[in-house]
Amino acid sequence: MANLETQLLDEMIVKSRRKMLTFGAASLAGLMAGSFKSAEAQAATYTDSDILNFALNLEYLEANFYYMAAFGTTIDVANAASTAAGAPVVTLSGTVGTAGTVSGGSKVPFTTIEVASYAIETAIEEGKHVTTLLSALGGSAAAQPEINIGTSFQTLAAAANQVTPAENIPSGFSPYTSDDTFLVGAYVFEDVGVTAYHGAASLLTTSSNLVVAAGILSVEAYHAGLIRTTLNYLDPDGSQGLLGYTTSISNLRSALSQAGLLGVAPSATSYDANPDDYGLATFTTPTSLGGGSPATATRLVDANPADVVAFARNPTQVLNIVTGGGAVSGSTAVSPAKGVFYPNGMNAGPNGFK
Amino acid sequence: MKTLDQLVEKALSRRSFLASASAVAATVAVTGCGGGNSISPTTPTTTTPTSTAPAYTDADILNYALNLEYLEAQFYLYAATGSGLASADTAAPTGYSGTYTEGSVTPGVAAAVPGLTSAQQEILNEIAFEEQSHVQFLRSALGSAAVPMPSIDLSFFGPLAVAAKVTTAATGAGSFNPFSSFDYFLVGAFIFEDVGVTAYSGAAPLISAAGVTAGYLTAAAGILAVEAYHAGYVRTSLTGRAIAAGSATAYPYLGAANLVEALRATLTVGNSAAPSTSGSVETLLVLPTSLTTPSAIVAADSSDAVGFARTANQVHHIVYGSATVGVAKGGFFPNGTNSIFATTTA
Repeated sequence: MANLETQLLDEMIVKSRRKMLTFGAASLAGLMAGSFKSAEAQAATYTDSDILNFALNLEYLEANFYYMAAFGTTIDVANAASTAAGAPVVTLSGTVGTAGTVSGGSKVPFTTIEVASYAIETAIEEGKHVTTLLSALGGSAAAQPEINIGTSFQTLAAAANQVTPAENIPSGFSPYTSDDTFLVGAYVFEDVGVTAYHGAASLLTTSSNLVVAAGILSVEAYHAGLIRTTLNYLDPDGSQGLLGYTTSISNLRSALSQAGLLGVAPSATSYDANPDDYGLATFTTPTSLGGGSPATATRLVDANPADVVAFARNPTQVLNIVTGGGAVSGSTAVSPAKGVFYPNGMNAGPNGFK
Repeated sequence: MKTLDQLVEKALSRRSFLASASAVAATVAVTGCGGGNSISPTTPTTTTPTSTAPAYTDADILNYALNLEYLEAQFYLYAATGSGLASADTAAPTGYSGTYTEGSVTPGVAAAVPGLTSAQQEILNEIAFEEQSHVQFLRSALGSAAVPMPSIDLSFFGPLAVAAKVTTAATGAGSFNPFSSFDYFLVGAFIFEDVGVTAYSGAAPLISAAGVTAGYLTAAAGILAVEAYHAGYVRTSLTGRAIAAGSATAYPYLGAANLVEALRATLTVGNSAAPSTSGSVETLLVLPTSLTTPSAIVAADSSDAVGFARTANQVHHIVYGSATVGVAKGGFFPNGTNSIFATTTA
């Protein structure tokens, strides 16, 4: 997609946006009430490539999880199942950082067409996200890091149980044993992907990159809606335990995310206060519906109930979630963050996020 | 500088994030050329862009979104509760000095969807609450600049369904009424949801650098995500219920939704450059028939799995139900949207 023409166009667009930046922002003063949170003011030592590489590291994880669950293989190795489904075979062309291997996981013995077809679709789409980002980044692309999609789920399950003892996820939890456990495993990722792309959107400086990021954000939210909808249909009243699992996972993510704020008041940033994650349990709407009364509602959307804008997280918050707390020590950020899904951390450039 | 500005404007148009209101967009046509698109400038006889100021402000973009949220909120609130937005959420705000006036809702057959299970009712409650919250959020953010609700015609589902050929034969029972059953409701919701996603995707990059700093982009991206959750819900439900029913014949609503997609495409083809290389911004639903075939829950470009975007112009063609250029009202908005993007263009 990056031929000479589009590169030149992109360059002009960048200049255009920067030029706009030099014109007064004051014209907007007074237009908006205080509802919007200002983007975090920070020295932009990183580039769009660093942000896209952060997304790429996350996509490596998601894509491999779905490929393993749907096909029983990793994204770079075709097998009969992936070939039959038309899933892309990813050429691991990224060179920045240290290339690792993918460990753990196995093909899920799906029994329902619903969940099997969703897994296959999602795998294909996440695989395409990897190839799209690799293509966009070219020689700046991060190598696929060491990824653990096996024992990491048991580690997370144990941690989730500590946050919410009332909702015990079995200690031997594996997302690869049934349609139901696969959905719970997918639940671990999808809302996180949404918050990561959401948080990154305002940090991007090139419009064409923003278009791609917004487009991938929408796909991640479609996936998240798909997972949450399906879990809701399978366990509408929580009697199957699935909703309880989602509550535990969301509470864990929220706690790890809060730690990733490192004590900075969220009101001073573009990121949300704790809780910034909700499981699938029903809730009572905080406002009346129309001229009527508040009502009991499902939680198919993971968003702030105060304004129903989806949550956003900064890279440290996201890193702290996917490494199970590896990005923070006390009140200090740890880089590279290691643990859980990323035993050796992510791959990034000198000013990148890892 | 003028030359550079023209190039910048053309670049934006080429990348398809320019809304229809920009004067220069009319001078550029995207035509097929081999495997990809190329720019084919026609004689630039229209207005030369002045300075760097775009033809719209961030408030115009947020107000465009607000118009769509008024429509979605009215639809979902009627479906969930049998009535619409409270008047406090539709009137012109205190201090409003714009030219638009508050419209009214033509409910037609709009009513609370009958026969819902409690779980289904809770889902409708959720979406109604969320779209209502988007109206309230955007109005709060815009303050006195928020446009009042335009007139909204919820009886347009019928004519739209006829145009889409979603007739008795397509759905198996009666004429199309999204308020008559849960499955009809899903098809009605389907008309909006993918459109809402693409509208925000198309609008987000239009926000100025100052607006990005002010947090509008983050807010727009956050609402985009919520719309995509909703779209994922609707598409998952239609697909899952079709799988459970066992065949496209047994569950005609999946086919009805695809007819809606076909109509949306017809309304926008030729009216604006499609962001995707394939020219289509629709992903038809499929009915998976085995454990080894993929579903099509996500609406995205099949080449890279990046979600689609639509321009404000494309969205207006859809909500007016008109492929005609130069139309300023119609369809769901009988008096037009309260937006500078209200008139359709090529």
